[in-house]
Amino acid sequence: MAFNYDGYLRMEKMPTLWCWGCGDGIVLKAFVRAVDDLGYAKDDICVVSGIGCSGRFSSYVDFNTIHTTHGRTVAFATGVKLANPTKKVVIVTGDGDAFAIGGNHTIHGARRNIDLTMIVIQNFIYGLTNSQTSPTTPQGMWTVTQKIGNIDPTFDACRLVEASGATFVAREAVTKPKKLEKIFKQALEHKGFSYVDALTNCHINLGRKNKMVAAMDTLDWIDSITTTKKKWDAMSKEERLNLLPTGILHHDDTKDEYCDLYQMVIDAHQDNRSKITQDDFEKKI
Amino acid sequence: MSMSTQLAAPENTPVWVDSARCKACDICVDACPAGVLSMKADPQSTLGANIEIVAIDACIGCSECELSCPDFAIYVATKQEFKFAKLTDSSKARQEAINENGYRLPTDYKEAN
Amino acid sequence: MASDANSQGKINADGKREIVMVGNHLAALAAVDSGCRFFGGYPITPSTEVMEAISDFLPRVGGTCIQMEDEIAGIAVAIGASMSGVKSMTATSGPGISLKAENLGLAQMAEVPLVVVDVMRGGPSTGLPTRVSQGDISQVKTPSHGDYKSIALCAGTLAECYTETVRAFNLADRFMQPVFVLLDATLGLMHAKAVLPTIEEVEAGIIPRKTFDGSNEDYRPYGVEQDEAAVLNPMFQGYRYHFTGLHHDAKGFPTEEIETCRKLIDRLFRKVDEHLDEIELNEEYMLDDAEILLIGYGSAALGIKEAVNRLRAEGIKVGMFRPITMWPSPEKRMHELGQKFDKVLSIELNMGQYLDEIQRCMGRLDIEKLIKVNGRPFSPKDITDKVKEVF
Repeated sequence: MAFNYDGYLRMEKMPTLWCWGCGDGIVLKAFVRAVDDLGYAKDDICVVSGIGCSGRFSSYVDFNTIHTTHGRTVAFATGVKLANPTKKVVIVTGDGDAFAIGGNHTIHGARRNIDLTMIVIQNFIYGLTNSQTSPTTPQGMWTVTQKIGNIDPTFDACRLVEASGATFVAREAVTKPKKLEKIFKQALEHKGFSYVDALTNCHINLGRKNKMVAAMDTLDWIDSITTTKKKWDAMSKEERLNLLPTGILHHDDTKDEYCDLYQMVIDAHQDNRSKITQDDFEKKI
Repeated sequence: MSMSTQLAAPENTPVWVDSARCKACDICVDACPAGVLSMKADPQSTLGANIEIVAIDACIGCSECELSCPDFAIYVATKQEFKFAKLTDSSKARQEAINENGYRLPTDYKEAN
Repeated sequence: MASDANSQGKINADGKREIVMVGNHLAALAAVDSGCRFFGGYPITPSTEVMEAISDFLPRVGGTCIQMEDEIAGIAVAIGASMSGVKSMTATSGPGISLKAENLGLAQMAEVPLVVVDVMRGGPSTGLPTRVSQGDISQVKTPSHGDYKSIALCAGTLAECYTETVRAFNLADRFMQPVFVLLDATLGLMHAKAVLPTIEEVEAGIIPRKTFDGSNEDYRPYGVEQDEAAVLNPMFQGYRYHFTGLHHDAKGFPTEEIETCRKLIDRLFRKVDEHLDEIELNEEYMLDDAEILLIGYGSAALGIKEAVNRLRAEGIKVGMFRPITMWPSPEKRMHELGQKFDKVLSIELNMGQYLDEIQRCMGRLDIEKLIKVNGRPFSPKDITDKVKEVF
């Protein structure tokens, strides 16, 4: 006896078109296991993906699925969620889709704290289109558009999303699939904008000319640049320079969720006498 | 609470593979702590290799191989269904030998006692 | 303000619904009366009043209106809601259509119904934000890359700001694609009395989306006849399929298969081309004994009609043909008119965007034109002077 993933996958689309050893498949597996463990009905879930290798995720899962234009997953998902507030809407996208072309939408989805779970397959590169620089590609690495070496600084996706207003922010790597699955469960259960930075190996593109040609090489590199939040908290600024903390980095259950806020609007309109004022909110600026 | 229908598995088996799905990425071999798995040459498969179970009795049921396989090619029985082995020094030694030999069990490998 | 007590109008002595309202507000009202329960948008002059009114109307009926962070998100959120099965709308002006182009293409490719109100203003670029033009006619025919068939309706009276929006919702669900409702700065902000169908009449005319009621296993959302639109069931009801902008098969999954790709694009055209009778709508004013044909649309037609009346009073036999469905164009009818009329004058507030289509349909290159692009409307005198000048 074993877990039957086939019940959650569109079997006619298997095997996946992802490269041999691509961590996207590990993310897919952890996600399916998390959904199963939480007992969600397949019909109650919508998965929205963007453009990139991560974009193919939505065609593999047997839920209500949407493959959108580049960068716009959060906006499409917001539409599905607002129109169906009791349903589970999950975004699976990539670092380019979410933070380059889609940066603005990511920021505002987080700002609204709308109940979406946003999983970014963080592989530090544009994979599908073959090795262009993404906003998280480390400086000095080879990319096709910066063959002499990438000069673009990076930002920390988790800090950006937290600063924008997300109330659940976590990071985990595909080298820790049990932890990843647990983080997905917590992210899905959290009511509000949940963000998961899922560190994934793209050895074929990022690794190719950056001395990480095999899947294991890139996975070892991911292990070398991560540390637990507990250890991170105790580190000095120097020690932290080339590390990313993993685990739950931010979790706030006190903020209003956007669909609930919109219900206030509906209630106020349907009861002609009431209005929403500053007194309804703790934060007045 | 699981909604999945349980996959019909080989009887009394700790770990098994669906080799048609294996893309020879080596990840499961690296993930195994007990030297159970190895890649073998297979000219018909992706990258000319495929997964092979070389020490099935050493499987400790940790599921790291299953959880880190991106292609749904390897499965581990549940702890309720199978009595798994304990992790031994000879298993660890075999694992190290496999890792150091490009994730392949050396053909002349002699088990430690 | 749109939320005044009179927002539903009153029934007059003839049993018709009368309402005094701004054009943009009428479009919002029409949407809600047609069953629209989701609006996503972004402020842009001169369309913002559509969103302002609907932000009030929708929550009253339990619907949702959201102002998004930009134009692209404005249409994306509406497409997402529509994909889930809710009637949705967005509204913008020329620059917004430019920004929305990519997602309009997705809605075409994935066959997602959506009403897109475009309140035209002076262009190009920032242009004349508070002044009128008809500068988006070409744009709404092919806003996005690739091949697809646009449907665009153009309101030419205040009442049509309402009735054309109702018609747009029906066409969007019938043909499973975005449908444009073109207003402009004149009509969108015109505040006057409109005589409208009653809510009962509107509701009786609603054509709901087709749905499939067999099993999920048998369901083929895009596996329909070559002259039919996709049958897309609402989400979360037991039918799980895939939306994508990639070429796709009958279940919506990406494919590059040669024949599947050919048939998909062919069907996107044929689903419209073989049902033009359901889409075409024109107004013909005093054409029967006319010797001079004026062609115009939108708010320009208000001036044209007055010009026709004035010229007729002087004994000049002139008539007007007004396309209300701009795209697909009334090709057959215009061709007939091109055979019947020697003297044809095309009148538009742009550099001749529809003139190209008129000439194509008529097979002629000698159509006279009256154009204006300085953000001012045509006065009836502009038109009567031109008629006398050229004919």
